[in-house]
Amino acid sequence: MKILFTLFVYLIAPFLLIGLVNKAKALWAGRRGAPVRQPWFDLVKLLRKGEIISRTTSFVFRLAPPINVAAAVLAVLLVPLPRQQALLHFPGDFVLFAYTLGLARFMLVAAAMDTGSSFEGMGAAREVTFASIVEPAFFILLGTLALVTGDTSFADIFRSLNYSAGYTVLVKSLGTIVLFIMLLAEGSRVPVDDPNTHLELTMIHEVMILDYSGPDLAFMHYAAWLKSVVVITLLANLVAPSGIGPAGGFLFFSALFVILAFSVAAVESLMARLRMSHVPQFIFLMTALAITAFVVVLFFRYGRI
Amino acid sequence: MNGLFIGMGLIIAGGVAAALVRSPKRAVLLIGASALAQLCILPVVSRVLLGGAPLTVSLHFAGPVGTALLLLDPLTAFFILIISIGGLLAAVYSHSYMQMYALKPQYSLGGYYVFMSLLIVAMMLVTLVQNMLLFLIVWEIMSLSSFFLVSFENDKEHVRRAALYYFTAMQIGVAFLIIGFAWAAWLSGEPNFAALHTIRATNSSAATIIFILLFLGFGTKAGFLPMHTWLPLAHPAAPSGVSAMMSGIMIKTGIYGMLRIILSLGLPADWLAYLVFSGGLFAGLLGVMNAIGQHDLKRLLAFHSIENIGIIGMGIGLGMIGMVHHLPFLTLAGYLGALLHVFNHFTFKSLLFYGAGAVYANTHTLSLEKLGGLMHTMPFTSALFFLASMAISGLPLFNGFISEFAIYIGLAKGVTTGHALLDLTAITGMSGLAFIGVMAVICFTKVFGVVFQGESRSTPAHPLPEVSASFLLPMFFLAGLIIFTGLAAPLVLPVMKPAVFQFAADADVYAQLEHIYLQLSRVLWLFGGLTLFFILLRTMILRRKKIAQFKTWDCGYQAATPRMQYTASSYASSFQELIGKALPVQKHLQQPDGLFPETASFESHSEDLVERFLVRPLVQTLQGFLRVFSWIQSGRTQHYILYGLIFLILLIVWIIGVRS
Repeated sequence: MKILFTLFVYLIAPFLLIGLVNKAKALWAGRRGAPVRQPWFDLVKLLRKGEIISRTTSFVFRLAPPINVAAAVLAVLLVPLPRQQALLHFPGDFVLFAYTLGLARFMLVAAAMDTGSSFEGMGAAREVTFASIVEPAFFILLGTLALVTGDTSFADIFRSLNYSAGYTVLVKSLGTIVLFIMLLAEGSRVPVDDPNTHLELTMIHEVMILDYSGPDLAFMHYAAWLKSVVVITLLANLVAPSGIGPAGGFLFFSALFVILAFSVAAVESLMARLRMSHVPQFIFLMTALAITAFVVVLFFRYGRI
Repeated sequence: MNGLFIGMGLIIAGGVAAALVRSPKRAVLLIGASALAQLCILPVVSRVLLGGAPLTVSLHFAGPVGTALLLLDPLTAFFILIISIGGLLAAVYSHSYMQMYALKPQYSLGGYYVFMSLLIVAMMLVTLVQNMLLFLIVWEIMSLSSFFLVSFENDKEHVRRAALYYFTAMQIGVAFLIIGFAWAAWLSGEPNFAALHTIRATNSSAATIIFILLFLGFGTKAGFLPMHTWLPLAHPAAPSGVSAMMSGIMIKTGIYGMLRIILSLGLPADWLAYLVFSGGLFAGLLGVMNAIGQHDLKRLLAFHSIENIGIIGMGIGLGMIGMVHHLPFLTLAGYLGALLHVFNHFTFKSLLFYGAGAVYANTHTLSLEKLGGLMHTMPFTSALFFLASMAISGLPLFNGFISEFAIYIGLAKGVTTGHALLDLTAITGMSGLAFIGVMAVICFTKVFGVVFQGESRSTPAHPLPEVSASFLLPMFFLAGLIIFTGLAAPLVLPVMKPAVFQFAADADVYAQLEHIYLQLSRVLWLFGGLTLFFILLRTMILRRKKIAQFKTWDCGYQAATPRMQYTASSYASSFQELIGKALPVQKHLQQPDGLFPETASFESHSEDLVERFLVRPLVQTLQGFLRVFSWIQSGRTQHYILYGLIFLILLIVWIIGVRS
């Protein structure tokens, strides 16, 4: 089941997510939209093409796509299927998880700076600025979950979560919102970033990969989509009820996957991207909610703050 | 321990010989002597480091020093290993780097090598000597020799200013140490560190104050918050080999001092552990925040030293917290993280300073806004700098992650133990460390992007090719250490065991840690394998494809010039806006004036909060008070002779009249 799930995450989920989101957005807007399979076609097309590479670039630009994919692939292995053990797990694996994504970000940003284009520099600066809010909030949330459960690895934390005291419902719901915002921020979706924009000044993720083409662009897209799926898997782990078997976990994940895809599409259809200067405020919501969850736990555990 | 003494003698002899010979290749003498010294020092040191019996030598001095104990235990051995290797690397690096001063008669290269060898040996002695008075003496030798190295280019005003600032900071630091040690020696009645623990039992409030005094003194050397303000001045002023040695090794003697005090004095009060931990956290945050706003490459690196000392401080604080609550896992993870980070910071920070020196040797500037595109002319330096940037950002596959992971896992374990204060501390610490990590990523993508990537911002008349082998050799060696420690953590942990066990000898818990690291390493190897696989896959896919070279996509604008690239300031500005007042940016704007404006300029630089709100007001208040006595300083030699005479007469009167 674990292997099957991992293959599903690698080969189907990333494309399905983007396909579903785009389809839902199109339907919402009254269009028929591209088929859900379109991201597969796009990627295969890109893999068949040749490339144009800027003369200004160096080895960093060429290394970034494969390293980004490798990091996303590793991140999948570290996150468990709901109510199961992850393929790779050890105490403190969530630290490696966050830092692996950090390494991918470092390469992505360095590759953007490699082109010497000021647009890409702008995107890079925004990416790291927003990441600087996301990552500490993620650690506050994971630390809080470790505090609730007394465990230090992803699978153990999520498994014990259901057998903990009643107030974990509160922690879970706060954590859900935190991870949903993380999904929007890390997945470069509205209201943080707009994947459809065609004006370089307003882009974040898209502008950083502006100079990529052909197979390298395919690598970059795949890594970014896979990262979104990983966050969804985390969310599924957090909210999955106890007592469902591996198959139930898989079903639960699939259902949640579709719901989240539609939620992302709904957010994207209902609101515009925030002004750049307002994005940090939105992401700070993550920090605020994570701290709230922590305070709740402290209050219930010790009866005082 | 004879091998150690022979090695020290060799290093001094090499330094003196290099000073006496007047040849451009004189550094070879110091290099040769240092290399020989390694053969004497490393066997002795590694035997103790790997768990051999600690070595002691007892020396008897007449006068106030009394019996002086020299102790080589695993902790000392660990530090001497770093000092010894680091000294050799700095000597090799200086061979080429100092060539740019060889033809200028105003610089004393001979003095440079003498003080360099003296600094290396003094640092070794600092970690060996257990006698408090003798310790202060070798401590001062270390501070003074590094002062002369910082003031090497003393014809420049900013260098003199920085050197004097450094000198003053060191004297303030040593004043704390003198008071602390004098009091401790008076209370315990023994001149050696080992007797310090008796104070804790007899007089715990005095022990607390002594602990704080000594931590302040050692913290000044280490650049620990809030005594760090000398670092960003002294590091850029010194020649790069010296900056690397000071940042990579010398400030660690302050860390050594703290650890030695914890070992000998113990913890007189529980809250000290939390104080040290939060001090480390704040130092880490403040250091890297300030680094983001800097435009001078070496000044920026100096702020990163403050950050990394902060991370080491977090490790020490975590270890102390573990001692307070009797949680051996936290103690071992904390001290392991701290010691590993001492070593790791030595590798990547030295490499970064050597890289910065190579940039300076080729371009004669360290201003981020003028550099750019060095990747094309200096491929090796760039690649090595890139590696070190990833390591210092704590990214996996490199050694910075290995040491930070120990602190993370200790904190994560701390959350699960059920102390409200510890929970709060641990979660703040984890998210703080994550924040430090992200900011380091911001800072080093900025540095690397602006200095090495893109195109050159100011076109030099003759772009110089890659630097010579003597520049690159130490850098390659350090890069090897970075990768080895990053991937072979299970081999490194047994080496650290005896040193860490001095704080808490719990074999079971250490085995747990080793097991965690084994699992971590397997995953890291898998990650390395995945990376290689996807790199190969990319190459395979692209092998038959047409790859065209073209200019960077300019979004339709046809007249882009290199000066339009994103600069360091613009890259940092979105983050600076985010954190706002924590990083005050000073702007100097001269607007174009009139119909035919002649000059206009804009300049911005960020300021250190501690410097602005703590150090400067303090210094100004002191100055106001001391100005009352300024009439004494007339500047005339005759007056000073008169003062001496008056003092002598008073002394004679006192001896004859009062004492008899």
